[in-house]
Amino acid sequence: MDVQAMTTNDWLGVFFLLVAAVGMVVTYVMVFRPSNKERFESQAAMALDDEDPIKLGEKR
Amino acid sequence: MAATQATPVKYDMEVVRWFTIAAAIYAVVGTLIGVYVASELAWPFLNFDLEWITFGRLRPLHTNAVIFAFGGCALMATGFYIVQRTGSTALWSNKLAWATFIGWNLIIVSAVVTLPLGWTSGKEYAELEWPIDIAIAVVWLMYGFNYIMTIGIRRTSHIYVSNWFTMGMIVMITYLHVVNSMAIPVSMTNSFSIYSGVQDAMIQWWWGHNAVGFYLTGGFLAIMYYFVPKQAGKPVFSYRLSVLHFWALSFGYVWLGAHHLQYTALPDWTGSLGAAVSLAMIIPSWGGAMNGMMTLSGAWDKLRTDYILRFLVVALAFYAMSTFEGPVMSIKTVNALSHYTDWTVGHVHSGALGWMAMVAYGAMYHMVKKLWGVEKMYSEGLVNVHFWLATIGTVVYVVAMWVSGIMQGLMWRDYDEYGTLTYTFVESVSAMHPYYAMRAIGGLIFNIGTWIALYNIVMTVRTASAARSANGVPANA
Repeated sequence: MDVQAMTTNDWLGVFFLLVAAVGMVVTYVMVFRPSNKERFESQAAMALDDEDPIKLGEKR
Repeated sequence: MAATQATPVKYDMEVVRWFTIAAAIYAVVGTLIGVYVASELAWPFLNFDLEWITFGRLRPLHTNAVIFAFGGCALMATGFYIVQRTGSTALWSNKLAWATFIGWNLIIVSAVVTLPLGWTSGKEYAELEWPIDIAIAVVWLMYGFNYIMTIGIRRTSHIYVSNWFTMGMIVMITYLHVVNSMAIPVSMTNSFSIYSGVQDAMIQWWWGHNAVGFYLTGGFLAIMYYFVPKQAGKPVFSYRLSVLHFWALSFGYVWLGAHHLQYTALPDWTGSLGAAVSLAMIIPSWGGAMNGMMTLSGAWDKLRTDYILRFLVVALAFYAMSTFEGPVMSIKTVNALSHYTDWTVGHVHSGALGWMAMVAYGAMYHMVKKLWGVEKMYSEGLVNVHFWLATIGTVVYVVAMWVSGIMQGLMWRDYDEYGTLTYTFVESVSAMHPYYAMRAIGGLIFNIGTWIALYNIVMTVRTASAARSANGVPANA
């Protein structure tokens, strides 16, 4: 790799690539950490918990 | 903030109703134009020597109608529906939601006028000229601002995963649309892209593929993660996987655009990078599809009787298939055969008809019953008829394009013993004719289904309204 030929845009690209890669690793660790399982999975039924009848019409 | 149901929430659902009806109408119109342009390719006399209805003018009208009119109204209807219900709150601004509805429909009307007149920027999936592009940015930001502010005033502690997908779509489509639409106007109806040559191509497909990734995939995954559990009556199979699905898609999709430009003037490594990340994206995409399907664990029997659930599950099957097919097509060896052929058209439609339209219809049927307070659609049987027409129509369309595309690719690359091309281009066009006719028929079958859906939805609304009047309940009560 010719580091001398790297432009500002190239370095910006490398920076964002590394940020994205690190962010992805952090996300995987956070999601699959056993101690976080309950915290995430407790939201799995959230879509089912809004079954009150919809009050049709306008708020204002 | 703690979740509370102590005070009944009065949601702003009238605007959701109108977006839902608009989506049902635009699905009919958009696919009808698609059938017509497909027929023009099979039977060119249908041009009637009128420039306004030639393939070149009507094709962008078809794509804009199905993606932004049907798809956009379905996304805004479901977005406003989900954000209110999962946040136990009304919209931040009902007036702004209505302004969004009116503005979005005015943009659609302007597309109907300008595209047949040939006023186009020539950018694929971004054909509208600069004044309309500005209007799109304004109306989209109105939608996005209202959505995010509604998240801000929610009464639940957690932001449900569907809302993350929708917010991802809102942020990224704003960014993509503005950057891709940068142009130098020369009149009200003409402009030139500020990018030139290979940069223009790169920006075009950076927009093009991310519109697929964040709008047609991310936006509709928001629908999937809310309506599949809802219709199945089961919690999401793995909420952790849904979180990972969102972030992996958000991190990954932005790299893929260059795979549309293999074997062009683009640097070779950009296409290789696009293909490599495309293949990596199979993992979160299939993880998400499996997550949706496994949500039905213990409820598969419902598919026998719940026709709405059929739409949602078949949509997931098409999502899985399309997100495998796309990465395979991005591989340079496969792309050498598939690019510029009808295989690409088939791939797009397995996603657009099989995934996007099917999941949207599943959500629309679900919402219609809730929004108008009925137990059943006007005809549950017609929902089933629509389901089979949509499935058969999609399969006929996609198979026709697969066969046609692979045949095209093989004919174009075939050499004889002297090293010259075996077939002329015209011979390949002639060989496509049966498949073009088959494609038009497949599209027509799908379109008939949309008419049935519109009839069923309208009759459900009318029946519900009549019942409410008979019971002395005001229409907006």
